Amino acid sequence: MSQTSAKTWLALIRELELPRPVKLMNVCGGHERSITFSGIRGALPPDIEIIPGPGCPVCICPEEDLHEAIRLSLEEDIVLVAFGDMLRVPANVPKNEPRSLEQARAAGADIRPIASPQEAVAIARADPDKPVVFFVAGFETTTAPVAAMLAEGVPDNLLILLAARLTWPAVAMLLDSGEAAFDALIAPGHVATVMGPEEWSFVVDKHRMPAAVAGFTPESLLAATYSVLRQTIEGKPFLDNCYPELVRPGGNATAKRWLSEVMEVVPANWRGIGVIADSGFALRPAWQHLDARGVFPAPVEERRRAGQMPPGCDCAGVVLGKIYPDQCRLYGRACTPRNPIGPCMVSDEGACRIWWSSGLREPRVA
Amino acid sequence: MCLGIPMQIVEIDGYNARCEAKGVEREVSLFMLQDDTVAVGDHVMVHVGYALQKLSPQEAQSTWELLDQIVDSQEALS
Repeated sequence: MSQTSAKTWLALIRELELPRPVKLMNVCGGHERSITFSGIRGALPPDIEIIPGPGCPVCICPEEDLHEAIRLSLEEDIVLVAFGDMLRVPANVPKNEPRSLEQARAAGADIRPIASPQEAVAIARADPDKPVVFFVAGFETTTAPVAAMLAEGVPDNLLILLAARLTWPAVAMLLDSGEAAFDALIAPGHVATVMGPEEWSFVVDKHRMPAAVAGFTPESLLAATYSVLRQTIEGKPFLDNCYPELVRPGGNATAKRWLSEVMEVVPANWRGIGVIADSGFALRPAWQHLDARGVFPAPVEERRRAGQMPPGCDCAGVVLGKIYPDQCRLYGRACTPRNPIGPCMVSDEGACRIWWSSGLREPRVA
Repeated sequence: MCLGIPMQIVEIDGYNARCEAKGVEREVSLFMLQDDTVAVGDHVMVHVGYALQKLSPQEAQSTWELLDQIVDSQEALS
């Protein structure tokens, strides 16, 4: 499949006669980055759209978790570690309080960006008397490595503040709501590598919607695009796998086994969206002594802080694929990577950040 | 991010491997591939320091080309 060039796929797509315009949704920041930077959107016929959907775990990390991470870093004698793009995500706070981990660090908190769970282990080993809190926001591709880290064994001073999420429940929620503004799904390649493509069968079985798992090269993304368009034309949706090089039936069984041994699936809040059933992870009892929430209980008033996006920010619409990034009221005006208002302009997986870094700097004129 | 980086295994020590991509070496955990046969010279898809799956040299090559393209266009714009 990867032998077919992008040019050939585009030619095949252009030959298709679509009965109506088709809007595809992708649910992965990596897909969006590849689609945006390879210029796929502009190369497709105008009746085929691709909109970015819920593909950014940092963007939907609930505010209460951000508040908790900021509070722990400032009030407790700890080291807080997090993946780098978590540090600049802004929370809604009164004017005189730090609104991000980056600002908490400027105020004296010991906060260190990391690129791998193994760095968190190394930091905890280097300072065994100090609690090290690992603030984890991520989808299955990140959560499985964190579960592997715990299963392999970590020092007792490494605590976990878990804000990890599953990818498919947000798509299920959108489709169940009847308000989904897309006609076909490009399913995420590395989530399917870990969890198996079968997780996405509900799109086809329950909703009769065309779907294809894609990798990250333009060839694989165009193969998936061609597949869902063919499914649309023929009226026969099935779950295609356009990333067979990595995505195997059942996924990575070893990774899944550790994930389910260490974590259970729970209802979870998505910032700006609300609680989605079976969409979050929690540590199982054998690992609860490492749960930062148990070791450092949050004050009651903090638990009540709701998970809103910043005022005026349309990140919730962007995350759900209801609007394009440049349709946000703040895009490129008040909100830029240098001065981000919403999380979608902060994270490397945020659609706004991706569009901006590709050179798209102007908001769409209504 | 979920894009992942293909790397080639240079050395294996238990669940840990030294992997290389484009002249850069990193420690990578093979913990999630412990039930697979993994050998020096194999390519693996790495995300946050963990190998998610093995992949062919051809697939590694085309992903590197994609990453180069993204880096080039970002440098051109910055």
